[in-house]
Amino acid sequence: MSADVQFASLPENSTTKASPASGKLAAAALRFGSLLAFAAILVIFAATAPYFLTVGNIGNVLGQSAISGVLAIGLTIVLIAGGSNVVTGGIDLSLAANMGLSAAVYATLIQLGFSDVVATAAALATGLAIGIVNALAIVFAGIVPLLATLAVMNVVAGLELVLTQNTVLPASTDLLTALSSSDGFGIPILAYVLIGFTIIATAIVQFTPLGLRLYAVGEFPEAARAAGLPLKSLVVGAFVASGFCGGIAGILSVAYLSGSTTGSGEMLLPVVVTALLGSVFSRRLVPTIGGTLISTLFVGFLINGFQLLNLPSTLVSGVQGLLILIVVSATTLLRKREI
Amino acid sequence: MTKGQTTGLGRRDILKLTAVAGTALAASTILSKTAAAADDALSLKGKRIAISATGTDHYFDLQAYNAQIDEVKRLGGTPIAVDAGRNDGKLVSQLQTLIAQKPDAIVQILGTLSVIDPWLKKARDASIPVLTVDVGSTNSINNTTSDNWGIGKDLALQLVSDIGGEGNVIVFNGFYGVTPCAIRYDQLVNVVKYFPKVKIIQPELRDVIPNTVQDAFAQITAILNKYPEKGSIKAIWSAWDIPQLGATQALTAAGRTEIRTYGVDGSPEVLQLVADPNSPAGADAAQQPAEIGRTAIRNVAKLLSGQTLPRETYVPALLANKSNIADVVKKLGIG
Repeated sequence: MSADVQFASLPENSTTKASPASGKLAAAALRFGSLLAFAAILVIFAATAPYFLTVGNIGNVLGQSAISGVLAIGLTIVLIAGGSNVVTGGIDLSLAANMGLSAAVYATLIQLGFSDVVATAAALATGLAIGIVNALAIVFAGIVPLLATLAVMNVVAGLELVLTQNTVLPASTDLLTALSSSDGFGIPILAYVLIGFTIIATAIVQFTPLGLRLYAVGEFPEAARAAGLPLKSLVVGAFVASGFCGGIAGILSVAYLSGSTTGSGEMLLPVVVTALLGSVFSRRLVPTIGGTLISTLFVGFLINGFQLLNLPSTLVSGVQGLLILIVVSATTLLRKREI
Repeated sequence: MTKGQTTGLGRRDILKLTAVAGTALAASTILSKTAAAADDALSLKGKRIAISATGTDHYFDLQAYNAQIDEVKRLGGTPIAVDAGRNDGKLVSQLQTLIAQKPDAIVQILGTLSVIDPWLKKARDASIPVLTVDVGSTNSINNTTSDNWGIGKDLALQLVSDIGGEGNVIVFNGFYGVTPCAIRYDQLVNVVKYFPKVKIIQPELRDVIPNTVQDAFAQITAILNKYPEKGSIKAIWSAWDIPQLGATQALTAAGRTEIRTYGVDGSPEVLQLVADPNSPAGADAAQQPAEIGRTAIRNVAKLLSGQTLPRETYVPALLANKSNIADVVKKLGIG
């Protein structure tokens, strides 16, 4: 399909090829422009919003971004391995529901008197199981990820309702208290969790042969197949990893909200937006773990700054939507040009 | 979505509702002016007062929230108002950021106690006074609320009396984690205990947010199919009046108007149904959310001026039933 598009646009390409420099310039503008825009927004907030530039506040934003960050990084792995075409490429719509169910499993087990160890293992197993179901549906049944994970999302959300009866399940344990507390500098422990998690994910995805293969499978599946890469295993692995991230986020969410609560599904769109926005913060305009982290923090600082400036928080979702629209259209246009 | 088809709300009814809302607004301004005269000495000049609402999608929340913002401004303070849109994650993030903003006080409107309490404690640990509306917490200095024990008891006695002390009752109990709802529910159970012929049908129903009306409509329609005989169900109880709205619509749509519905809050659209002699809406305990909100802010001003506050401040609520609705509406100033 992509071949058709290239042939069809060949004459156009030849004219634009006359000035490859302008394409590069535009790509550079987008690449550094987005970082510059982020920096500019930070500077504006620092100058105008009281308390913005305090250690505690920055720590807060990091901590508040932990759950969405872990989910967005999970989704990024799927985007890398499945290709970042929003419709036909990799996507995992079940992530937010996964987090909700994993959290519900954790809180239920704690209420039944099980230990943190058992509850943690069960929450992670829940996430993994959802990832495996996704992988089976996509790789072996051959369903498009968009539809497969949408169906799984509904199943998972239904299971959560059955388990919690749509009520809040409070949970309080030593582990949860430790996770939701702050250190001596007023920096939430969740902030360190996000940083630690990102470092591990970055190390695996960006600096190992395994990570390189994930990119190969996502971007050039035919070439990857010809090179003898285990395509199916890699895609399965990506969805299982994403499910695992859902489980981790579930545990963080129980810590953050002192239990399992309703409405986890509302996380889905912000997480998808964050992961897609991540591409624009990478050098080659592809999904990267680092880019996703920056994009998560970007959204986090935006919400935080708006509250500090006493602006209505309803504006944030509008700004987020606008950003994603600009970013996706810009990357799509530039990609075409680079080819 | 189903609202228009099922309620049979005509254009004239909508006009009436608008008129009710309008007069309510006018009356509440008059009320606030009289109250203002009483507390003339209070001031919040130079103070930053944080107002954290769990959501503003319900009549009660919105009235309390807006009244608080206005009252802070009227007393010369700066409101920092945040609305979590019924999302617990957002609620916690906002509270966290509020604590970092070091306001002179935080007023929390509603919320699930287990979710917000750790953060109210952190605010207290950071020496920020915390006051609450409709949610009792050991970490709040004062809770402004309706007397929910009274509301729960009055509503339950009204229900039992209306059904002649016997019959099956359907109960919506989806928000037992929210303190006022828990108190009202417990009072229902306490009253029913002494009327052995009154039975709460198990399992109890779970009301949900959002889409409360549509969901209650669907759940009640399903229950009616399960109990098709007239008299097999006598009443439907819910801890607030939005599920009651959906339930009442479902009863009307199914022609089962012999069943009575009961709820709390005094949302204008439900009071309108109670006033309608043909509607199955039996009673609605009307709270005064705007007055509750203003009282909470005046309590903040009192606290900051060095006065000691009681543990709870009660704002009167009135039980509106079929026979006294005209009086109640007049007393509430929305008639």
